[in-house]
Parts: sequence; structure tokens; C-alpha cells
Amino acid sequence: MRLIAYLFIGMGVFFATFGNIGILRFPDVYTRLQASSKCGITSIISIFIGLMILEGLSFVTVRILVITMFFFITSPVSSHAIGRSAYEEGILPWRKEKEKEKGE
Amino acid sequence: MDIHQKWKIVRILLTTVYLMIGWLAFTCNIAPFSLLLGFLFSFTLALFTYDIFIEKREVARRALIPRISPLLIYPFVLIFKIYLSSFKMIPAILTMEINPRIVHFRTRLKSEIARALLANSITLTPGTLTLDLYEDYLIVHWLNAKTIHSHYAAKLIKGHFETWLKKIWI
Repeated sequence: MRLIAYLFIGMGVFFATFGNIGILRFPDVYTRLQASSKCGITSIISIFIGLMILEGLSFVTVRILVITMFFFITSPVSSHAIGRSAYEEGILPWRKEKEKEKGE
Repeated sequence: MDIHQKWKIVRILLTTVYLMIGWLAFTCNIAPFSLLLGFLFSFTLALFTYDIFIEKREVARRALIPRISPLLIYPFVLIFKIYLSSFKMIPAILTMEINPRIVHFRTRLKSEIARALLANSITLTPGTLTLDLYEDYLIVHWLNAKTIHSHYAAKLIKGHFETWLKKIWI
């Protein structure tokens, strides 16, 4: 049981690392937003599942569940707000070079 | 008492009930004092926020009260989908083989909360990001787009979310 929990927490660290690499490597606002917020939410879920397994059935587990629910609601809303403001400013999304030439 | 006032009272009571559920989940405590305090605070909040929480025109019963059994299964579907597309995200980050596009498609969900949940679910799954929702149309930024045809894009992105949400709300 402990081993599964540690596996989940390790997976959370793994996803968070790749999310941060994604922020540095991706070209524009939208893709960076994708990398940061999405790998962020996956790592958070993994860590919370790991903690829930580690704790077993108790009041703390229910509270972790409630906090996870809040993350499920607030995290997409924040990334949606940033994405929407960028979209309304008229920032065009980055595209592949080849496709750009084909279009022109 | 006319129908508008009755509807107002129902909305206030429903908002109070939902807030009480939140309070119970947070405190994990059914002592009478805690319950009374929770009821007072949720009733006061409901008096201020009932108009935002339940809009005046949303009168369908299914739009307000969810079916319980699919609501309990839905988070597992969502988490499974999130993990599935997270593992697809890692090679995209490493090799930089991405093809970002903006796609538009329609949703058939009617109630506000189901639409909000659909947009949030799409944003939660890695690789797709909801930019806007106007009238019936969702604008989605898609990393690694396979098609820009709106019908197929809708099938690939919405997947099972819409059918599940349709079972819970309208």
C-alpha cells in the first residue's frame, strides 16, 4: 500500500518536472499555458491520490478530497481567464512553419 | 403570493441546501452548534447570491438537481482521461512535434452548470484549452490538432464527457 502511494507521489513530481520543461520550450502564450496548467493539475491529482492512499479512511481523507474538488474547479477557471484575455487581445496562435508557407 | 415570489423562495432554499452540503464536507462535524452556525451563514449567503447561483430563467428540474449515480462515476472518468492524455503530452514536450490550432464546435447541453462543467473538463484534460463559450459554440485551443473539421474535432475532444453530463444534468 505504501509503495503504491509513493509511486503516485513520484509520478506527481515527474509530471511537474515535465510541465516546467514545457513552459520553457513551447513557443507562445497558449501552448505555454497548456504545458503549465495541465501538467500542474496532473501532478497535483497524483500527489493527492498518493496522500489519500497513505492516510487510509479518515476525516483527513475527506478534507483532501474537498481540496482536490476545489482544485478541479479553480485551476481550469484561472487558465481559461488567461487564455480568453489573450484571445480577445487578438494574439494569433503559433503554427508550424511548413503549414504557414502552404497557406500563403 | 404570485409565482415570481414562490420561485424566489425556492431558489433561496436550494442555494442554502447546496451551501450546507459544502459546509458539512468541510467541517465533518454534526454537532448542533456547528449545524446551526452553518445554516445561519449559508442562509445569509443565499440571500445575497441566489440570483447568481440559479438564474431566473432556469426552471427545469434536471438543470437544478443532478442525478446522483452518474455524478459519482463522472470524476473517475475525468481522472482516467486526464492521465491518458498526460502521458500523450510528455512526448509532445520532448520532441516539440506540436500542431496547435483553434477549433470551434457546438455543444448540445442546455443548463448553465453542465456547460460550465463541460468547458472545465475540456480545460482539465491536457492538450485542450477552452478559450470562450458564446451561445452554443465552444472555442477550443488544441495542441496537436488532428483535424479542423468541427464535427470530428467535437467527437475527439468532447469524447464521453458530453454523454455523461447529459445523464447528470440536461
